[in-house]
Amino acid sequence: MAQQNYNSDDQIRARSAGGRVHDDHDAAAKSLSEALRVSFVILKIIMIVLVVAFLASGFRTVGSDEQALVLRFGKIRGVGEERVLGPGLHWVFPYPVEEIIRIPVAKKVNLAINSFWYRETMRDVLGESPKERAPVTETLDPVTDGYSITRSQMDSGDVTSTSGSDYNIIHCKWQVTYKIDDPELFFRNTYVDLEKIPAGQNYADVITQNVTGLLEDIAGNAVVTALVNYTIDDVMFEQVARVTEHVRKLLQEKLDKIESGIKVVSVQMTDKTWPRQVDAAFQAAIKASQDSQKAISQARTYAEKTLNEAAGPVAEKLFTALQEQNISQEQRDLLWSELAGAAQKRIDEARAYQTEVVETAKANADYLRQILPEYRKRPELVVKQIYWDAIQRILNNADEKFIIQPTEHGKNVQIRVLANRDPKIKPKSEKEK
Amino acid sequence: MKSIAITVFIILIVAVMGLYLISFQVRQTESALVTTFGKPTREITRPGWYFKRPAPIQRVHKFDSRMMVFEADLGETTTKGAVPIIVNTYVVWKIAEPLRFFNAVGTIKDAKSKLYGYISDTQNRTIGRHAFDEFVNSDPSKIRFPKIEEEMLADIQPAVRDAYGIEIKTVGIKQLKISADVSKNVFERMKAERNRRTEATIAQGNAEATKIKTDTDSKTRILLAAAEARAKAIRGQGDAKAAEYYKMLEEEPKLAIFLRNIEALEEMLKERATIVIPADSEPFKLLKGMPDFGASVQTREEAASK
Repeated sequence: MAQQNYNSDDQIRARSAGGRVHDDHDAAAKSLSEALRVSFVILKIIMIVLVVAFLASGFRTVGSDEQALVLRFGKIRGVGEERVLGPGLHWVFPYPVEEIIRIPVAKKVNLAINSFWYRETMRDVLGESPKERAPVTETLDPVTDGYSITRSQMDSGDVTSTSGSDYNIIHCKWQVTYKIDDPELFFRNTYVDLEKIPAGQNYADVITQNVTGLLEDIAGNAVVTALVNYTIDDVMFEQVARVTEHVRKLLQEKLDKIESGIKVVSVQMTDKTWPRQVDAAFQAAIKASQDSQKAISQARTYAEKTLNEAAGPVAEKLFTALQEQNISQEQRDLLWSELAGAAQKRIDEARAYQTEVVETAKANADYLRQILPEYRKRPELVVKQIYWDAIQRILNNADEKFIIQPTEHGKNVQIRVLANRDPKIKPKSEKEK
Repeated sequence: MKSIAITVFIILIVAVMGLYLISFQVRQTESALVTTFGKPTREITRPGWYFKRPAPIQRVHKFDSRMMVFEADLGETTTKGAVPIIVNTYVVWKIAEPLRFFNAVGTIKDAKSKLYGYISDTQNRTIGRHAFDEFVNSDPSKIRFPKIEEEMLADIQPAVRDAYGIEIKTVGIKQLKISADVSKNVFERMKAERNRRTEATIAQGNAEATKIKTDTDSKTRILLAAAEARAKAIRGQGDAKAAEYYKMLEEEPKLAIFLRNIEALEEMLKERATIVIPADSEPFKLLKGMPDFGASVQTREEAASK
């Protein structure tokens, strides 16, 4: 504006100079008039340049991660999709008619929510050994210690609980990642302090610090509201994903309800712990659960090994088949054929017995058939022959033989045999081996 | 020509300066109030370009119309049934009616101090109507948390709007806590609960392991018994087949029995046998002397007579 005033002063001076040229007709006056004409042209050029510069100041670039709104006399310009300008070069009528507001829509911002964590001093955070940490207090101070309340297990069977209002305490840390989803809603509804923008920064630069308070409050509310629906075990171990999604959904609903134009990209539980005051009990519970898992898995190993030793890999199937009524004999036989282990050994032994007993019987029958014709001719001789052959073999096989002379009287004869034979005397058959 | 251009230019500048005096913009994020000699005469809630009388006559007061967040301090209150709890409530609010706001409050700073009282009143009143087990309950279907917040909003919204022209967009509890003393009790209960669970876990684990083992043992027994039955059947088949062969021996039962006895005798005395034999039995009789072939004929006759 000051520049424009200055220009108009020049014009006034130029005009009054022109008036004097009119009165005087000498050469000096002519050259003066020439000089004035030149300076007038220069002035005109300057004016045009200024106007062009003024209009050119309306060119604005919108970055690739931004979208922009144009305010014409303070009101968002355009209708429908035209209201939001995408990345690229745009021309808006310079201030004060139009104004461009660039909003970083693609920029994702992380916000840590630490209001549910117990109080930690700098020494606690930096101290490496547990000794350097402050001792755990017996209680939690509601002002300095943060925590969230979770519901109790429904079927806990706790005799002390009558109202069902038992609850647990949990500490957790969260991280919310958000971005501006709807630039118009965001600009219209979400407070960003324009008066406190530091020099050299613009609207976009101060968004994060301005919305942090709002987001912290609403995220805290979402965590409190969501967590009362879960047990401490849900939050600690079993349903982390569901809990997180619940918090995200609640947070988004609340942000949508107030038309903030902010979108929650993700919510994460970055840290969680049961209160340090009950650490021992929880550790014991974890150990118990590990131990019991171990016992079960050992039992399973035992089961596998035992069944495998008893009947081989087919054991389970065979067992089921034995219990089932409507399984065909073929199917059962097929399973039996895959049998292994101790059961198979018994069957093998039975098979061996079968073979042996049949073969022996057959051999005996053959033998009898062979000697039968001879026996029918001379029975006594044949029998004697067989008898003495056998006696010979028996006596040859005997380790010790005693031949005793019977007394004349034939009665009351005592024979004393030393019965505790040397156990080292091995059976003949083994010696031969 | 030149002078016309200059004149137009000057007029333009004067006009712009004049417009600054008699008009104003209301941005999309604002609302405005025009006062004439200090008295509010016009309320503007839509953005745009508006005219007014020059400065001493009419003045423009602008108000930010965007949402602001305000939280009360952490405060202890009691639920129905006198359970003390500590809550921290926040409100998201905005200036909805500039005129009322201008008359009753004036600045944002004043608004906050006025909201403070309303929030704690609403908080105490609403929470006092609900039992603690509506905040947290082992049965999630009994939790009324969102409803309590809605009630708080319904409680504070009309009052604040009527009094200050402030619209409360949402009310939320951002901290729900208990006193330090109570936290000690909670820890005791958590410990007891955990210990009970620990015991249950151990008992369950042992029971399951034992069950697996006994199941296995019984399965093994059943399988082995089934295998034994099968083995017996196989042995039986063998015995049956063998019996067919033994049938052939029936032709000469005496001989068959003799052969069987001989075989058995041989089998029994196969190993580690000590045999005591009288010296006058065959063939050891030979040790005592030559056999009498004449006598032997006599012996045969004697045998035959018997």
